[in-house]
Amino acid sequence: MSEASPIHHAALGDRIAGAVLALLALGAWWHSHTFVTGFMQPVGPGVFPRLVSVPLGVLSLYLIARPGINQRWPEKAALVRQLGMLLLLGCYAVVLEPLGFVPATLVATVLLMRLFGARWRQALPYGALLGLSLYLLFEFALGIPLPDTPGWSG
Amino acid sequence: MPISTFVTPRRLMASSLLGLGLAAGLPAQALPIDECIAPADPGGGWDFTCRSVGKLLHELDLVDGNVQVTNMPGGVGAVAFSNVAGKRADDSNLIVATSTVGMTQIAQGRYPGDADTMRWLGMLGTDVGVILVDDDSPYQTLDQLLEAIVAAPTSVVMSGSSGAGGWDHIRALMLAKAAGLPGDRIGALRWVQFDGGGPAVTQMMGGHVDAVSTDLGEIAGFIESGDVRVLAVLSDEPLPEPFAELPTAVSQGYDVTGYNWRGFYTGGEVSDEDYASMVDTLHTLYESDEWKEVAAQNGLVPLWRGGDAFSDFVRESIDNVEAISREIGVIQ
Amino acid sequence: MDILDFLVHGFAVALQPEHLLLALIGCTVGTLVGALPGLGPVNGVALMIPLAFNFGLAPTAALILLVSVYYGCMYGGRISSIVLNIPGDEPAMMTTLDGYPMARAGRGGEALGLSAVASFAGATIATIGLTLFAPLLVKVAIRFGPAEYFALFMLAFATIGGVTSGSFTKSFIAACLGLLLGTVGIDPVSSVARYTFGWYELYDGIDYLVALIGLFAISECLLFLERDQRQDAAPVRLGSAAPGMRRSLDCASSIGRGSLIGFIAGVLPGAGASLGSFLSYSLEKRRWGAEGDFGRGDPRGVAAPEAGNNAAAGGALIPMLSLGIPGSGTTAILLALLLSMNITPGPLLFEQQPDMVWGLVAALFIGNVMLLVLNIPLVGLFAKVLQAPSWFLMPMVVLVAFVGIYSLNNSPFDLYMMLAFGVLGYVLRKLEIPTVPVVLGLLLGGQMEFNLRRALSITGGDWSILWSSGISIGIYAFAATLLCAGLIYALLVKRRLG
Repeated sequence: MSEASPIHHAALGDRIAGAVLALLALGAWWHSHTFVTGFMQPVGPGVFPRLVSVPLGVLSLYLIARPGINQRWPEKAALVRQLGMLLLLGCYAVVLEPLGFVPATLVATVLLMRLFGARWRQALPYGALLGLSLYLLFEFALGIPLPDTPGWSG
Repeated sequence: MPISTFVTPRRLMASSLLGLGLAAGLPAQALPIDECIAPADPGGGWDFTCRSVGKLLHELDLVDGNVQVTNMPGGVGAVAFSNVAGKRADDSNLIVATSTVGMTQIAQGRYPGDADTMRWLGMLGTDVGVILVDDDSPYQTLDQLLEAIVAAPTSVVMSGSSGAGGWDHIRALMLAKAAGLPGDRIGALRWVQFDGGGPAVTQMMGGHVDAVSTDLGEIAGFIESGDVRVLAVLSDEPLPEPFAELPTAVSQGYDVTGYNWRGFYTGGEVSDEDYASMVDTLHTLYESDEWKEVAAQNGLVPLWRGGDAFSDFVRESIDNVEAISREIGVIQ
Repeated sequence: MDILDFLVHGFAVALQPEHLLLALIGCTVGTLVGALPGLGPVNGVALMIPLAFNFGLAPTAALILLVSVYYGCMYGGRISSIVLNIPGDEPAMMTTLDGYPMARAGRGGEALGLSAVASFAGATIATIGLTLFAPLLVKVAIRFGPAEYFALFMLAFATIGGVTSGSFTKSFIAACLGLLLGTVGIDPVSSVARYTFGWYELYDGIDYLVALIGLFAISECLLFLERDQRQDAAPVRLGSAAPGMRRSLDCASSIGRGSLIGFIAGVLPGAGASLGSFLSYSLEKRRWGAEGDFGRGDPRGVAAPEAGNNAAAGGALIPMLSLGIPGSGTTAILLALLLSMNITPGPLLFEQQPDMVWGLVAALFIGNVMLLVLNIPLVGLFAKVLQAPSWFLMPMVVLVAFVGIYSLNNSPFDLYMMLAFGVLGYVLRKLEIPTVPVVLGLLLGGQMEFNLRRALSITGGDWSILWSSGISIGIYAFAATLLCAGLIYALLVKRRLG
């Protein structure tokens, strides 16, 4: 967040990022040689990726040499909450089609609200309300078909 | 981007009631085709095929509700082809637009599969190739253009909506070959691919390329407005009105024709029964006066091949294009 | 008949009660859809098409409805940019840079009011341009060949360095990363799969909406979770829209420049609204240099890109109507609609369908006024939404984005991808690497590469075509000037900071 105060000497993050990006550029360069140039093409599919990976690699090396400022990395408790959200949303994406939209979303909304600091007596009714209104909004108002619950044709 | 259908419950009811009423009088009422994949962005030939046929299927009450058109661009149809082969091989509600352009891709091994991967439903009409230059181009006739190409292949930049080796390009190369360009110099010709016939023509009007090889249907508006000069249409006979004045390549002494038919396939695991009924639905559509009218407006000549006859024709087309591609050097 | 007669006739068509009602519905729905992150003008217009068919609307009426939705979305996209720091759609991305800082400082109402006026001005200027200069502009636009387009994209990336407050190096790194991500998928020229590693889901490339929502919305939520929740920050106060409307007078020159740049970007097919709002912002920032407070809530940083993206939306209608070439995803859908109504846009459309064209132009003017009026009560509504506790607001935003992304392809893979971009966006923000250039690279990379390859096909591989026309030399010179000015400015700032 923009108001979080940057730490001025935390160069390590930039150095790691520079190394990762330099490796990425190198990998992209190397892999682009496997793209076969087709019939009568003066410029093959590998040229543009190579053109981009050169400045990416050079700038990444520069970043390693002259790192800038980073923001403070999260505390342990915050990290747990963040991983929780990613895990929750990942699971939601997995069960969305097998379980159908309504049950998967109801569980996801309630748990997500808990994660964002709601009490159970707030999360349960409002989570249900949000889940159902999303269903009504997308399925009916916007006409976007959502996955049905198996054995439950509505 | 997918385009979602919006079917109000009332409309759904009305059309299913209508379906009941008709069921008594008609043999095996067609299954509801409810989606057409156009393997390209909106605006091109495949998109037009899906949209016009989808709309007519709905208006002629051959289907329940609307036919949803899904644009799935990528790899000149390869993305849609692999999607249907992998995920929706048995979906009998789905049709996918294709044409000679798709056959060219299959013939050159650019799709993940061959003709046996899909079931070929039918073709409804055919578009015809044209060779165009800008209205103030120095080339007045096809002879002049081809002479320039044979004299100095690098001096003329041609363009169209297919990639190098695609159907638009092959048609141009067939002409160059007929004019006497030796096989080993064909690689010197310049070819530029744009997103469609329309963009290719406007780039030609801007002076960035010299000539365009594409389908008549995509650029008919520019012919009518007089912004371009048609050097040749690649049909056996002169076209019907309003394009009757355009000279054919054959009449100018070059024995080259190049059609681009429009048709549909569906997944390879659709049952025989469903397949037959989908072919019937499309045939009914083809027989309607409305289709003839839509086709004429868009520079298509109505032409029907369906079911097994069409499947044989598809295999024959692929073999033909493969032979031409080999001859020109697109595939080794 | 001259243009004025046509226009009067057009207003007579557009002012019919049925058409007015449709414009009102379109504007309202468009604003709401545009404001929801993950749903943009493409969805808004696409979901209205079947509606138009079901009501059996005449072509003119259907077009008025859809264009109102289109303009409404362009208005709506800015709302969540300003209020939540999450762009409603990709052209509204630039508005987060100064709009959100304004909102944090309690000037959200002002930003909303100002951006409404800027949007109105941009769209109106574009519509006037469409009315007066459409045939002329088409003649200029076709002078842009592949080499000139490539130069235009180079200009965009040359100015990227100074756009966000981060360092030059990091901005360019982000842009290169975006360009590289943009090459993933089947190469449209040679049908070769690039960097897909056998994953079928990647064949169609990385959808920029998936990246946008991941980089902005999901990473915003991750940042939010860092806060101690018991001391929930006091709800952001929006304030009234009125000062923003007055403020727009101070920003008139910014709005004017933004509109002009956006309009030009819109007229060029393939450049589009994102490039329009981006260039409007970056040039405006360069214009003011150290005098401005860009990135920390400068009102001009809201006015210029909003005017730019709405002007680009109007400009994009010109190549669509008069050449049949869509300049953006949304105009592509409008084109599809016209085609399925047996209207073929092209050089003859203005002559063959004057009722339709001029009715449409008049509807654009009317829709604009409606949107401006609608926006005054909407500021109050969104202020109410913001009063909702964050445990309700944040899950709502996440889930709307989730379902919106899922509905693109009905594919859970897009959702995993969005989460991955969320983590990427979070890490980039921690490293102070801006995310805007990543999205821009992803958005523009495909066209940039395609035009480079087209240019080189014209010459058979001779690179000198890239700088062989007056237009492209002019663009490169301009880009070089801006790049140097930016570097010198950055050096001066560094020296002053010590």
